[in-house]
Amino acid sequence: MKIQKGSYFAKTHEWISQERDNLYIMGISDFAQSELGDIVYIVLPGIEKTYKKGEKIGEVESVKSVSEIYAPVDLKIAGVNLNLNETPELINSDPYTSGYIAKIELLGAADTLDLMDADSYEAFISTIHD
Amino acid sequence: MRYIPNSENNIKKKIYKFLKIKNKDELFRRIARDILLLKPEDLSSVPDKMDESSIYRYFSKINDILPNVNNFSIFAGAGIYNHFVPAAVDSILSRSEFYTPYTPYQPEASQGTLTALFEFQSMLAEILSMDAVNASMYDGAESLAEAVLMSLRIASAPLGTLLSTPKRALKVLISDGVNPAYISVMKTYLQDLGIAIETVKLDKKTGLSDLNNLSLKLDEGVFSYVVQQPNFYGIIEDLAETEKIVHKNKNKTENTAINPLFIVCSSEPFSFGTINPPGYYNADIFAGEGNSFGNYMNYGGPLLGLFAAKKEFIRQMPGRIVGKTKDAKNNDAYVFILSTREQHIRRQEATSNICTNSSLNAVRAAVYLSLCSKSGFKDISLLNLKLAHLLCGKLQETGLFKLIYTGDFYNEFAMKIKNMEAAPFLDKMADKNILGGTIVGSNEILIAVTERNSIYDIDRYVENAVSILKPFK
Amino acid sequence: MKSFPGVSGLVFNEELLSTQSSRGVSGISVPDAGFDDKHKKKKAEDYIGEKFIRKNDPELPEVSEPAVVRHFTRLSQWNICVDSAFYPLGSCTMKYNPKINEAAGSFDNIKNTHPLTPVKLTQPLLKILYDFDKILCALTGLDNFTLIPQAGAAGEFTGMKIIGKYFDIKKNEKRDKVLIPDSSHGTNPASSRIAGFIPVEVKTSGRGYIEPEELKKHLDGSVAALMITNPNTFGIFEKNIKELSELLHDNGSLLYMDGANFNAFIGNCGISGMGVDIIHLNLHKTFSTPHGGGGPGSGPVGVKKFLSKFLPVPYVKKENGLYVLKEDKEHTIGKIASFYGNFAVILKAYTYILSIGRQDISKVSEIAILNANYIKKRLQTAYKGSDPFPDELCMHECVFNDKELQLNGISTLELAKLLIDYGFHPPTVYFPKNIHGAIMIEPTETESLDTMDNFISVMVKIKTASKNSAIKAPKKTKVGRVNEVLANKKPVFR
Repeated sequence: MKIQKGSYFAKTHEWISQERDNLYIMGISDFAQSELGDIVYIVLPGIEKTYKKGEKIGEVESVKSVSEIYAPVDLKIAGVNLNLNETPELINSDPYTSGYIAKIELLGAADTLDLMDADSYEAFISTIHD
Repeated sequence: MRYIPNSENNIKKKIYKFLKIKNKDELFRRIARDILLLKPEDLSSVPDKMDESSIYRYFSKINDILPNVNNFSIFAGAGIYNHFVPAAVDSILSRSEFYTPYTPYQPEASQGTLTALFEFQSMLAEILSMDAVNASMYDGAESLAEAVLMSLRIASAPLGTLLSTPKRALKVLISDGVNPAYISVMKTYLQDLGIAIETVKLDKKTGLSDLNNLSLKLDEGVFSYVVQQPNFYGIIEDLAETEKIVHKNKNKTENTAINPLFIVCSSEPFSFGTINPPGYYNADIFAGEGNSFGNYMNYGGPLLGLFAAKKEFIRQMPGRIVGKTKDAKNNDAYVFILSTREQHIRRQEATSNICTNSSLNAVRAAVYLSLCSKSGFKDISLLNLKLAHLLCGKLQETGLFKLIYTGDFYNEFAMKIKNMEAAPFLDKMADKNILGGTIVGSNEILIAVTERNSIYDIDRYVENAVSILKPFK
Repeated sequence: MKSFPGVSGLVFNEELLSTQSSRGVSGISVPDAGFDDKHKKKKAEDYIGEKFIRKNDPELPEVSEPAVVRHFTRLSQWNICVDSAFYPLGSCTMKYNPKINEAAGSFDNIKNTHPLTPVKLTQPLLKILYDFDKILCALTGLDNFTLIPQAGAAGEFTGMKIIGKYFDIKKNEKRDKVLIPDSSHGTNPASSRIAGFIPVEVKTSGRGYIEPEELKKHLDGSVAALMITNPNTFGIFEKNIKELSELLHDNGSLLYMDGANFNAFIGNCGISGMGVDIIHLNLHKTFSTPHGGGGPGSGPVGVKKFLSKFLPVPYVKKENGLYVLKEDKEHTIGKIASFYGNFAVILKAYTYILSIGRQDISKVSEIAILNANYIKKRLQTAYKGSDPFPDELCMHECVFNDKELQLNGISTLELAKLLIDYGFHPPTVYFPKNIHGAIMIEPTETESLDTMDNFISVMVKIKTASKNSAIKAPKKTKVGRVNEVLANKKPVFR
């Protein structure tokens, strides 16, 4: 299971990673994609839309399940990964880079984010993995 | 009991004993605690057991009491039509490989049903000229109600989650030419959702939906307009003009505006062998009744709900959809697709609650339409139209009937009877072994004609109608 | 029985009919209407406006009658069905579909009856509807049924609408929540939602049923009803149902029972004694009508007297010795179907009741329960750690998780596919959701000990199957493992 160092993770398995200043990229973790199985469809969030932490921003679908993607922080969508419309399997093969979901702007202060670093997230998923 | 293969002895010695249970009383007591078991007298209205030959005789007798299909001429329609079912359809559908499996959840063990349903979808898509057809709904009424719910989801998506509290007065517009039973069912579906239903009236002269009335009522709360083709009174609607009005705001890009969807329904899709199909007029959703294709009337059911939409709306469609794919060895194979829309995965967020549908009726339709082939479908469709016009003309010539509407019609038309109420007229016709139509007004009837009515039947209708009505002139 | 039913036979390849077209060929006989020459020549434009006339004919395949018959006959041979194999699909009650049912539904005059034929001509058909209503009342102990709902989900929707109307009219209060156990079928929350309610999940206890304490947590003035499947989808009887009913009634709420599993009760247990106010039954399950590869079915709804006035219309009434169709219920929820429901399905269910009669009807649920417990107990040897409720007797079906299979690296899906090669339709898999890798087995009363023993021995064999064979299964079917990912990624639907 790959856990990208330097990224921050939510309990709902989204990750964010700073690109520059207030601009971050986000996606779902390798653990999340492996639980879902082959991803066949994605509903991306709307560009320029703002979401509160925990709000549903999109959906990923495998053949037999649907999972919601939640905002890991208060955010505004700066851009989305349109490649996923045609090739949603990028989330399976490359969840941290070409399979990212959106570029976001943080709406709160960066130092108050209630997210896990890579090590804490690793510990967190080991408790789920039964 | 002949449906139970285990002998009394095996049940006692091999099952009860193995389970360490003495008898039925103990079995139920251990499971259901204090729930009282039924006593024989509780079941007094359950009939006595009958042997098979007596059952056969029982239904034979019923069959004999009913009007004889071979000399009872049916001229009633109003949502269900008396088309002929070729022997090959019954022969194929009597195969228990088709009628005794469950829904094809295991595709490798169900390729027969899945392939047949895929062909059903393909043939219906051709007939309707629509992108995507599902694997069936219950009947025309339910299918249409689901179409309206789907249009509500699509059109109000920019308004946020719908079906919760309505953000504004949302409404659906329905032509008065839609089958009244369909409108009733739609009301049942919509009544607790805070959705208003408004009707667009028919032009009194032509019987077409009044397009001025439509324009007038098409305000900003309207999320879809429903029109039936041909309409309940048999009249062919002007869908080209209708579509222009319904879609007039389609290219405006205001974020919050609702773009109403154009829903076409039909209870006689055989018409689309002669007249332009809903897809030709850019319909967003089609919902209707497919019983005309290879299915019996069966006193009203089971029927065959048809459902189709433009491909951009496929993820909002209700019901099952069969898709084509490959197996491990790269052979063509078929399987249900986009199941994440459905109740077994998405539960309360599903596009519909439908699970069991009318699969077998859809397979019947697939067999029937395959037999028809391209030319037969067109020929039978045209024959319906010609025979209906022949009867209509002959009835008008008697001077005892007046055509209520002037609009062009397909295989059904509404008539005013000049000197008798509709009910006694139809009653007297029934005595002559003719189902003369259905009542739509105190002295108004709706008459449908299909390829099962020959010129002989038509002449018999006219002669008997004259003899019934003439003495009262 | 020493050998397994699944062997390889000659299977035919068959292309889609659309690829077998030859121009001008047709498989139908178009009637000669007997037009004179003048009428024969007429075209559509002689009757209706040019602008309406279709110019591009639909591209239906152009094939002969023998080609159509061979095509669909070959297709049919790619299906496993109840008539060809053991079909222990849990919660679907795939019992034998008696052939006399089909014969009864095949009489010419019956199947050709138009639903708007005057009632004086359709008395025997209306009598069947009238009598079957009474039969269902006797079997459940409830007071009135509607036979109109066309499937189980339509019954649920109808039931929820009745409950909504009851609170609307009778009590003039708004209750918007319906409690639904976590083990329920997906149709339950979906039907409640479409009927205008908010579904709220109630947790099943470790013992496999709802505890009164859990229900109490949710009860307040907003709860319209509890919608409970009994026996539930673990095959377990809801042992507290009477107490749950009392709690609900004290709270002014109603008890709805999903009767999909009524095969566990028929002829032995009534429903009214459990405190149920409203129920739907599935005629295509308990009452032996065929499932048709996905439908049609029939889902009658029964109610206690105080809910009768809300039932949908029309209904059959006996007036001066004549059966008539009435729509005069003041507080009806309205119409729910084009006509009167799936008459032909009801007729087959009625035939089934005539065949077994009140004399034999109690054997149905008794043997169905015995068979399920026989499989449960026999499988407990090999699947010891996989029975979530090892000490409970089940009713019509039993459930296992995938713990024992996983020890050998086999998944539930692979078990299902392996079973096919041995000649069995797989049980229901991955449902209910709260059992990991669920395998849900419902044998029904119409299977023999030999068949069950055979199935059990295969289940035991599969437990130690090689992973390699598991991945490749099934091998004996017309197509191998179907690529569902490809199917969903790039949907091809026509």
